[in-house]
Amino acid sequence: METATIELDARGFEPPQPLMKTLEALGTLPEGATLRLHTRWRPALLYAELAKRGFAGESEEQSDGSCLTYIRRS
Amino acid sequence: MEAALPISAAVNPAKRPAKTVVAAAPSISLPLRFVVTGLVALLTGVGWLVAQPSLLTTYHYNQNIVALTHLLVLGWIGSVVMGAMYQLVPVALETKLYSERLAKWQFAFHLAGFVGMVWMFKTWNMKQVGHFGCVLAIGVGLFVYNLGRTLLRVRKWKVVATAMAASLGWFSLTVLAGLSIAAGKSTYESLDGVAVTGGFRPLLDGLRALGALMAHFDSLSAMHAHAHLGVVGLFTMLIVGVSYKLVPMFTLSEVQSQRRAKLSLLLLNAGLLGAFISIALHSPWKFGFALMVCTALGIYGWEIAAIVRARERATLDCGLRSFLTASGMLGPLCVLGLVLAWPRLPLNVFTGQLENLYGFLGLLGFVTFAILGMLHKIIPFLVWYHSYSPQVGRAQVPTLAELYSERLQVAGYWSWLAGLVTTSAGILLQNEIVARFGAAALATTLGLFALNFGKMFSHVFRPKLKPLASPVAK
Repeated sequence: METATIELDARGFEPPQPLMKTLEALGTLPEGATLRLHTRWRPALLYAELAKRGFAGESEEQSDGSCLTYIRRS
Repeated sequence: MEAALPISAAVNPAKRPAKTVVAAAPSISLPLRFVVTGLVALLTGVGWLVAQPSLLTTYHYNQNIVALTHLLVLGWIGSVVMGAMYQLVPVALETKLYSERLAKWQFAFHLAGFVGMVWMFKTWNMKQVGHFGCVLAIGVGLFVYNLGRTLLRVRKWKVVATAMAASLGWFSLTVLAGLSIAAGKSTYESLDGVAVTGGFRPLLDGLRALGALMAHFDSLSAMHAHAHLGVVGLFTMLIVGVSYKLVPMFTLSEVQSQRRAKLSLLLLNAGLLGAFISIALHSPWKFGFALMVCTALGIYGWEIAAIVRARERATLDCGLRSFLTASGMLGPLCVLGLVLAWPRLPLNVFTGQLENLYGFLGLLGFVTFAILGMLHKIIPFLVWYHSYSPQVGRAQVPTLAELYSERLQVAGYWSWLAGLVTTSAGILLQNEIVARFGAAALATTLGLFALNFGKMFSHVFRPKLKPLASPVAK
């Protein structure tokens, strides 16, 4: 089954803005949707915060060194 | 909240990777206890220079300057480096710290060890320096073990992890070299008439044998070799390695050449090994190895300049400017280092003062300036993460820049630079009054930093949250 995906490109922001923008975006994420987060680096500090809020993230490093993280409700 | 969060094409979940890496920074109290200890040691050290500027205007081989140097390298730089590594290694290398509990034990050994060492250096009781040094060494052992186990968890071995592993090795060697120097300066005649039994007999025999071995080395050469191991092997290695992660992160850039980054680390390690041996043996080869270390630092500077030129962020904030200015200090330091490594350099009062200047600029011009710059970035982030990350999306939280005063930072940057220039002049002119003015300017920066530090920490105890704005009906 295919799910709606919200895109968030946070590559142009200095820490901690990618974290801020991601957590803000999750507040309005529709039920069943996925947040596809594009960051310059692996969002190492994000995962713990996701778990506290009932989300889970899976990350994939890209060939250019950036990172795509798929976040969904757990 | 960003306006543009376009709903894109659907994603096929089957194609998603299943690589979730859980990295977790330790609790804020762990790095902070090291940072606060470090700042108290730095304030004490700079205050000592203001009170006794003759430490810099006379030759450096005396108990007070050795005590002050250990206060700065162990109490200030060592503490901050340890706290920062506990914080940064898990985040930078995307893993978890092996044991937070071990790190807390290490802090106790570190604090007791360095305070005792500085005190005993001041009274020049080398046997007690050795004993407190052993307490410190237990802490260093715990630190190296803890971070070594953490590094073993790293999945991708990149240049940052290599620099960190190398720095742990050099740190261990620095401590062993320091303890050996202390053993070489200690005598154990008081135990001659005492029946020493059990495990103490081989220990005593071992210490005497080590002391006899150290007698083959010139005291000053051994001390200089030990100092280079610590300052280049631990501090410079870490600054170089961490730069390749943090400078791109804060300037929104990338490492421009992995080959350059790797070559800088390779040459730095090889040059340091040769420099350590040749300095300890008072060999003329030290010039060649000094040249190798300087080449490594030149390549590092080249790569950092390339990273900064390729940045997407237009302006550089004060923390970054401090860090980059500190990196620029490596230029005059390399020139000084090469001059002092010249085999036919005459030993006179002026060259003695050049050695003082080299040590002063190395510790306060390069390492301390770079650390203060990075602390301007790291401490607000730590405080923000601790106080506000759980509240994002639930309340209005301040931005990072709202946690501190940039005006205080800028004033601190300029007073530190003025302090470095003035103190350097005082050292070269052997003028205590000029050196005291310089040290006072350095102390002014620390006062400004303390004010900013207090401002940041007010957010830990009293977070400044506002309710989220209600959506306006159109």
